[in-house]
Amino acid sequence: MANKRNWTVALALGAAVIGILVWRPTVLIYGLQAAGIYASIAIPMGLILGIVHIVNLAHGEFMMAASYLTYMVCRATGMDPFLALVPVAAVTAAFGFGIYKLTIRQALKAPELNQLILTFGLAILLTQAANLAFTSQTRKISFDYVSASVDIGELSFGIYNFVFVAIAVAMVVGLRLFLTRTTTGKAALAVGQNPRGAAIVGIDVDRTYALVFSLASALVGMMGAVFITRSSIFPAVGSPFTMKSFCLIAMAGVGNIPGILASSVLLGVSENFLKAFRGTRGWADIVFFVLIITVILGRSIRGKKA
Amino acid sequence: MKRNTLYLAAAAAAVLAAALPAFLGAYPLNVARSVMTYMALAVSWDMLLRSGQISFGIAGLFGLGSYASALLVLRAGMDPAMSLVFATLFTGALAFTIGFAVLRLRAMYFSITTLALAEIFRIVLHNLHDFSGGPEGVVLPGVIFGGDTRALYWLCLGGLAITLGVSWYFEKSKLHLALTAIRNDETSARSSGVDIFRYLLIAFTITSTLQGMMGAIQVQSYGFTTPETAFDANFTLLPLAMALLGGIHSTLGPMAGAVLLGIASEWLKLKIPYGHLVVYGIIIVLVILLMPRGLVGLARKRRTGRGA
Amino acid sequence: MKRTFVALALIAAAAMAFGQGTIKIGATWPLADITGKQGSMAAQQAVDEINKAGGVLGRQLELIVIDDELKADKGAAAIEKLVTVDNVDLIIGGMSSGVALGQVPAMKKYGKVVVATGAASSTVEAALGADADWYFHLHPWDYNQGASYAQGWDEIQKKYPNVKIKKIFLAYEEGAFGKASFDQTKILFGAEGRYQIDGAPFKSAALGGGDYGSVLEAAKMYKPDLFLWAGYDADALPMLEQAKAMKFSPGIYLGAPPGWPVGFGTSRLSENVMLYGMWAPSINEVSPVSKKFYDGFVAKYKAEPATYFAPLSYSAVYIVADAIKRAGSTDTAALIKALKETKYESPLGQTVTFTPAKIIKNQGIKNQKILQWQRGRQEVIWPFESATAKPVYPFPKW
Repeated sequence: MANKRNWTVALALGAAVIGILVWRPTVLIYGLQAAGIYASIAIPMGLILGIVHIVNLAHGEFMMAASYLTYMVCRATGMDPFLALVPVAAVTAAFGFGIYKLTIRQALKAPELNQLILTFGLAILLTQAANLAFTSQTRKISFDYVSASVDIGELSFGIYNFVFVAIAVAMVVGLRLFLTRTTTGKAALAVGQNPRGAAIVGIDVDRTYALVFSLASALVGMMGAVFITRSSIFPAVGSPFTMKSFCLIAMAGVGNIPGILASSVLLGVSENFLKAFRGTRGWADIVFFVLIITVILGRSIRGKKA
Repeated sequence: MKRNTLYLAAAAAAVLAAALPAFLGAYPLNVARSVMTYMALAVSWDMLLRSGQISFGIAGLFGLGSYASALLVLRAGMDPAMSLVFATLFTGALAFTIGFAVLRLRAMYFSITTLALAEIFRIVLHNLHDFSGGPEGVVLPGVIFGGDTRALYWLCLGGLAITLGVSWYFEKSKLHLALTAIRNDETSARSSGVDIFRYLLIAFTITSTLQGMMGAIQVQSYGFTTPETAFDANFTLLPLAMALLGGIHSTLGPMAGAVLLGIASEWLKLKIPYGHLVVYGIIIVLVILLMPRGLVGLARKRRTGRGA
Repeated sequence: MKRTFVALALIAAAAMAFGQGTIKIGATWPLADITGKQGSMAAQQAVDEINKAGGVLGRQLELIVIDDELKADKGAAAIEKLVTVDNVDLIIGGMSSGVALGQVPAMKKYGKVVVATGAASSTVEAALGADADWYFHLHPWDYNQGASYAQGWDEIQKKYPNVKIKKIFLAYEEGAFGKASFDQTKILFGAEGRYQIDGAPFKSAALGGGDYGSVLEAAKMYKPDLFLWAGYDADALPMLEQAKAMKFSPGIYLGAPPGWPVGFGTSRLSENVMLYGMWAPSINEVSPVSKKFYDGFVAKYKAEPATYFAPLSYSAVYIVADAIKRAGSTDTAALIKALKETKYESPLGQTVTFTPAKIIKNQGIKNQKILQWQRGRQEVIWPFESATAKPVYPFPKW
C-alpha cells in the first residue's frame, strides 16, 4: 500500500520534471543553480547545528568576512578566487577555532538561548566592522569565465553557476565520508547524537566541538571565496543567507545533510517556477516559507501518527 | 511586609513613568517611546518563553498589528483610536487560529515556523499592491492625537502597562505553574493532568495579541508604515537580545535589558556617529559572556552571595 | 608682553563673536551607508570652506549630524533632538524616503526650515501636503525623474537619428525604490502610446537576491530597444555577467542604481553601459564649482565621492548659507523668503532654483542626467549643455 503510493509520487514528480523541461527548460536550469548556492552555504551551518547544537546567527557574516579577505588577496596578488580559497579556508578555520575558544565555548554551559544571542552579537560586530573598514559601497572583481554560456537552439544560458551544484554535492559526499569512515568523524557523529554518552566512552567533546566548528568555518570560508566570483560583496551580503540556511536545515531536519541539498533543489526549482510567469513573479519568495511550514507540519503530523 | 514594599515600589514607578512628560522634553520622550515599545515586545516574548517555546515571530505579529490598524483607518474609515482596539483583537484572533497548527511543534521547529509565518505576512502585504500599498507602504491622513508628544508617550506607556500587567498576572496565577511545568518536563506535566495544548494556546494568543497591539500603537504614532518597517527583523532580534541580557523568565529582566540596550544604542550613536554599532555588538557579546544569566541573574547572585 | 595682550584681545574678540553664537545647521543621514556617510562628509567640507572664508553674517556655521540608522523612529527622534535639545536654526539632509515619512510629523510640528537632500518617493510629498512652505526639496521626486528621462530620450533621438527607441523593458527591484521607478516609467513613457513598456521585478542582491536569470529571460523575449534596470550597486556587475552569458544585448543597456560599485569602470563589461544619475566626476570639466567641490573632497578625505549625495549635500549647505546671508538673519519667515529666491550654481552642473512641484511649493532639482560609461569613466550624454561626450550606440553585441 505505502509502496504503491511512493511509486505514484515518484511517477508524478518525474512527469512534472519532464513537463517543465520541455516547456520551460530555464526553470530547471536556474532552479538547480540557485539550489547549489543555497545548499553549499547551508551545509556548513547544518554541520554545526547537527553536532555542536548551536544556531550560528553569524554564519552569513563568516562568509562575508571570508569574501572580503578573498577580495583583498585577489586584488593584491591577482590570484584567482579558486586558488585563493585554499589560504582563505585556512584562515577562516583558524578564525572559527578562535571564535569557538573565546566565545562559543564559554556560552555552551549557559542556557542555549545565550548562544543564539551571542552569535547575533557577533554578527552585528562583524557586519559593522566590515562597514567601517570598507564602507557600504559594493565591490566585485569581474572574471570572464563567469559568463560562460551554452547555446541549445534558440536558448542561451549561463552554465557557470553549476559550479555551486558541484560544490554542494562535493560537500555532501565529503562530509558523509568524513562522518562515517574516519575515526574523528565517527566520534563527531557520536558527540552530535549524545554528547554525554560520547564523553563517557572517552571522546573529548570539547575538542570535537572545536574541530567541527573549525571545519565548518573552513567550508564557509571556501564558499566565501567562490562567492565573490558570482556576487558583489558588501557588509550586509551574508545576513540573508543565515536565515535561508536556517530554514533549509529545519526543512531537512537537524543532522540530515543530504536532506539540505534535497530541500534546496525543491525550493530553488519551485521559486524559479513561479518566477517564470508574469502573474506569480512577485510571489516567488513566499514559496520558500510556505514549503518550509508544510514540510515541518507534515512531518509533525506523520510523526504523531507513527 | 516584603510584598507590600514591592507593590509600593511598583506603584511609585508607575506614577513616576506617567508623570515623566512634566519634566522631560520631546526628545527624551521620543527615545522613551522607542524603549517602551521594545520593552513590551521583550516582556511579551518572555511570557511565552516561560513555557519553553521560543518564538521568532515577534516582527510578524507586530507588523500584522501595524497593518491591521493602518488599513482599518484607510480602507474602512475607522477612527484611529478604535482601530487600535480592533487591530489588537484581529491579531489575537489570527494568532489563536494559527496556534492550533504551530503549537504542535516544539523547539527549533516551532521557532522556524513562527519566523516563516512572519515572512509570509510580509510578502503578502508586499504583493497586495492595491489593498496594502505594496512595497511603498501606506501613509495615514495624520498621526493619532494630532501628534502631541505627551499624548503619544502616554499611549505607548498604556500599551506597556497592559503588557506588564498581563505578565505580572502570568507570574502570579496558576498559569505560571502550568507553563513552568511544561517547560521543565512536558511528559510529567501531561501525566499530572496539565492540559498542555490549552495553556500553550492561551499563552501564544495573549502574547501575540500584545505584540500586535504594540504594532498598532507604533503605526498610529508615526502615521505611516511599509512592509520593511513593520516587519523589520530587528523587532524580533532586539527584544530577544534585551530579554536575554536582562534575564529571562521574569518581568523585570526583559525590562532591564530593554533599558540597557535602548539607552546604549541612542547614547552610543550620539557619541560615536560613525561606527557606533560595532560597540553595540561588542556590548551584546560581552554581556552574554560575562553575565550568562543576565542583569537580573547577576543581581540575584550578588544578593544570595551576601546573604549566605 | 604686548604680544600676549594682543593675543588675549583676539581671544576675547573671538569669544565675543562666539557669544553671539554659531549658526547651527542640524542634519540627519544614514551614516553607516555610503550615501549618508559621504553626504555628511561633503556637508562638513562646505561648512569648513564657508567658515574659512569668514562665515555668514560674521558668525561661524556649526553642523550637527545625527545618524538616522535608516530607521523611521530613529530619524524622528533625531529631528526632535536637533530642534529641542541642540536648538538648531534649520535642518538639512535625508536620504531614504521611509525615514523621511517618519520624520514628517516631527518636522511639521516645529515648522523649522528643512532643505532635504533625499526622499524621492512621492508618498513623502503627499504626507507633507501643500502647506509645508518651510520644506525645500533639493532631490527630484520620482515623477520628476521619470519625466526628465522621457524628455532626455526624446531629445537624444532627435539629435542622433540613428538612436531609435520603441520598446522599453524595465527590470526593477521588488522594493519601494524599484516599484516606484516602474510605475513612473509606465506613466511617463507609456503616455500617448509613444513607447511600449514592459517590466518584471527581481530581488536585489542588496536584499539577499541576486538571481537575474528569469528577469533577463523575460527581457530577452520582449526584445527591447532600451533595457533599463532599477536596482542597487550590488546588482550592477552580476546582472551584466548574466546578460552576457545569456547573449542578451539590447540596443541600449541602462542602469539606474543610486551608486555604482567600486571600480565598475575597470571591468571590460562596463563599456558603453548607460546610466541615470545626477553627478559624475567628469562634470568637473564643464563646471568649475564641481571641480572645486571634487578637489576639496579628495584633499580632505583622501577618497573619491562615490554617489551624488556628496555634491547634493555640499550644495545644501551653500544654498542655506547664501539664503541666511540674503535674509540677514536665521528667522524662519525671512529664511523661507530668501530660500525661495535661491539661484545657486551647483557642482551638479546646473543652477538650482526652487519652483512648485505637484503638491509642495519648493522643489529644487527636477531633472536627472543620462550618462554613459566610456573607457572606464561616466560621461554626460544629456542634457546637452553639460554633455562631456557623445553617445555610443548601439550597445555592442557580446
